[in-house]
Amino acid sequence: MWFLTKQFAVRRYFTHCLSALIDLVCGTKRWRTSEFVLASLVFVQTHSLQDLQQPAVSSKVYVQRDYSSGTICKFQTKFPSELESRLDKQQFDETIQTLNNLYAEAEKLGGKSYLEGCLACVTAYTIFLCMETHYEKVLKKIARYIKDQNEKIYAPRGLLLTDPIERGLRVVEVTIFEDRSIGSGR
Amino acid sequence: MPNSAGKRFKPTKYIPVSTAATLLVGSTTLFFVFTCPWLTKVISPAVPLYNGLVFLFVLANFSMATFMDPGIYPRADEDEDKDDDFRAPLYKNVEIKGIQVRMKWCATCHFYRPPRCSHCSVCDNCVEDFDHHCPWVNNCIGRRNYRYFFLFLLSLSVHMVGVFSFGLIFVLHHKEKLGGLHTIVTLVVMGIAGLFFIPVMGLTGFHMVLVARGRTTNEQVTGKFRGGVNPFTKGCCGNVEYVLCSPLAPRYVLDPRTKPHIKIQAPFIRPDLSDKQITIKVSDNGIHSTIINSKVNSSQSPLHSPKLPCRRAALHVSHFPIVMSDDRKNSAILEEGVRGHDYRSEPNLDLPEYANAPLHRTFQSSPHQLDSDPVNSRSLSLKQGPRRPGKGQLQALPPQTVASTPYKGVFSPNTHSNRNGSLSYDSLLNPSISPASANECIAHRGVPSMGFHSPYLPTKMCHIRETEVHRQQIAQTYSPVMPPRGVGRQSPHFRDREPSPVRYDNLSQTIMASIQERKEMEEREKRQMLHGRSHTHIYAQDSGMFDGGYGLPNNACFSDGPRGPGSRGPTPPAYGGSRDNLIGVGLVSYGQRTPVLRHAGSTLGRAPRTSSTSLHTDHSSTNSSQSRAPGHEGPYRSPAHQPHSPAVARSPSYSHQKLSYISAHERTDSPRLGGPREAMKVNGQMDCHLNTQGVPLSPGRHNNVKKVTGVGGTTYEISV
Repeated sequence: MWFLTKQFAVRRYFTHCLSALIDLVCGTKRWRTSEFVLASLVFVQTHSLQDLQQPAVSSKVYVQRDYSSGTICKFQTKFPSELESRLDKQQFDETIQTLNNLYAEAEKLGGKSYLEGCLACVTAYTIFLCMETHYEKVLKKIARYIKDQNEKIYAPRGLLLTDPIERGLRVVEVTIFEDRSIGSGR
Repeated sequence: MPNSAGKRFKPTKYIPVSTAATLLVGSTTLFFVFTCPWLTKVISPAVPLYNGLVFLFVLANFSMATFMDPGIYPRADEDEDKDDDFRAPLYKNVEIKGIQVRMKWCATCHFYRPPRCSHCSVCDNCVEDFDHHCPWVNNCIGRRNYRYFFLFLLSLSVHMVGVFSFGLIFVLHHKEKLGGLHTIVTLVVMGIAGLFFIPVMGLTGFHMVLVARGRTTNEQVTGKFRGGVNPFTKGCCGNVEYVLCSPLAPRYVLDPRTKPHIKIQAPFIRPDLSDKQITIKVSDNGIHSTIINSKVNSSQSPLHSPKLPCRRAALHVSHFPIVMSDDRKNSAILEEGVRGHDYRSEPNLDLPEYANAPLHRTFQSSPHQLDSDPVNSRSLSLKQGPRRPGKGQLQALPPQTVASTPYKGVFSPNTHSNRNGSLSYDSLLNPSISPASANECIAHRGVPSMGFHSPYLPTKMCHIRETEVHRQQIAQTYSPVMPPRGVGRQSPHFRDREPSPVRYDNLSQTIMASIQERKEMEEREKRQMLHGRSHTHIYAQDSGMFDGGYGLPNNACFSDGPRGPGSRGPTPPAYGGSRDNLIGVGLVSYGQRTPVLRHAGSTLGRAPRTSSTSLHTDHSSTNSSQSRAPGHEGPYRSPAHQPHSPAVARSPSYSHQKLSYISAHERTDSPRLGGPREAMKVNGQMDCHLNTQGVPLSPGRHNNVKKVTGVGGTTYEISV
């Protein structure tokens, strides 16, 4: 709170100084708008400084793929020990299970995938230029789900899930952020 | 990015694809121009239509096979491979439908290649479901484009057959005009088609077999499933269906896109850790550190020095008071921890350095204070650490660090201590937690007790490593016995205790074993008390070695093993190395002790011991024989059983100082220590065992022998 106040005060001070300087340089009141510009710039600057106050990354946990059923995309539901103090096992399980189900749905050999294949063949695969494949649609769904989970469950606990597609569907990366509130180096 | 930076433009690699494209397009064009008009006229317009469609299909599949991403894996992030790169084994086994499949570490891409993935040297990428690198399309054939490649082969075969047959028809009808342009061109086209007919048809047939069997070219050529079972097959129909009808796999090499910015701001919600929180911290000290530290970022690296493990272990000790309820035992433990540190520093013992007296006094004054004061005291004791050289040394940590119990920080040293086997002796020498308290802790949460032990165990291990270097026998005897016991008994026991926040299946075998042993020792002690044997002096030194080899090395070894894969996958070779050393040591010591123990045991009339117990007794016997015997042997074999004295460390000065320290300590604590001494165990297990061995300890303890439990549950009896 104090920090924020300080920043505002700093911002105002900067704005005031800069606007005064510009007035001095330009010598007219027309440049009052510059004050607003400067204020916004300083605001942006201080705002970006605030962004830098995001907690530092403490460590990363990687949830590996579960290959017991073959090469289908499935992640291990084993609860990493590093998350024990941050997250309930049940929540983590639920997240991973949902992800597994979504990936299973993406890779399902069914009517939709047949149709898509035939259509692609018939159109000499030009259909891929305009249409999204079934897998891509589900991937978007997964990205939305992960974003939702991050916002609701993981970010408040100082964790961040990374979409496995960014890692080639090999791992689910869970970033653990430093918990400065308790002053520990976690 | 999939390709390595600095890729040069090599024209030679485009020759096959250019040739193939030229031949394909050129020949077909010639066919359409010179042969088809007559065919259209004579046979039907459907001929060029059919050929046109087939040719279009061939071109489309050819283009897809050439330009489509085959399923390239992007390089792994630095953070992901941090632990794997230096300590990871080359292969990692994974079970797929009951069949063991080996995953190889890719040094270029920095991850373990998923099953069926292979690294293409031409493209310099790992490709999913790697089939082969096809020079004719200048691309890898992998999961995403195998279907198009297969269809390309099929359609090309069909096209070649069609072109050849229609050309033949043309030529047969123009036999008299063989010199004509059209005929010559048709003959040339037929020649090309005929020339490439055999290779293309051969390849097509080969891939038809592969598809039916559910194998890739790579697997077929390298003979992976020769004589074995293919875990990836789904049956003939299933495989065909999978190749032709599966959804198009996604690209992994994505354009960098703006990720949704998610604000992460402390304070963070924590799961309900009412009494778990502290527990976790404590237990994590020794248990989770291995797992956690393996993933810890470089920020933790400073702690990875050999000294740190012990230091962290010391920290853990300080945590105990926080966890444990206020009671004498805890205070005793605290004291032990403090003393332990002092003793540990001892192979380089510098008593004055430790200022044991003041520390001691601190503890004395507030034995029941489990708040920050003991912690601070402990911190003070910890500060003795830096002066100690070598591994297994405790280093002073700022009190606040201790108090705040940095989760990971605390663990990392333990991890390392476990892994590197650098143990601290201190806990061995100090009175251990009372068995009752230990049991209580275990019953209560399990974790706390484990945590309680953990700092000691790693410490001990640190020390053991040191002692192992110098003297090996004792520690060795114990290791073989410890692990099976620990494993067998600890895991199910602890698993039953779920849902504690600490996952016992992740806990090191060491800790589990030590806890188990502690319990056993308590039982034995009780039994022995009934027998009323005279006390046996067991020197701390031996116990230290004993403990280290007994519980810690084994546990360390085993803990590393099972935990490694569980937590991370690759079992770091470092673990293996340290583990092997420890096991070796443990084994030797084990062997030595067993006969001695048995003998002693029978003499003492103790209850039958488990193998671990005998190890302990053997160990203690061996230790005793090696350490200077205070002299009070009683019915026990004097050489075999030596009183545990905290000062019994190999170095006479060490033991002497320890002894004096302990004596002093005990004097002050005698009323307190006498009672809970049986129960007090530093590591729990060791203490129990040692106590068991020294059945006489209990009765005689109060009279003229002080029982001090050291790290790892080793109990030493010091004659006062």
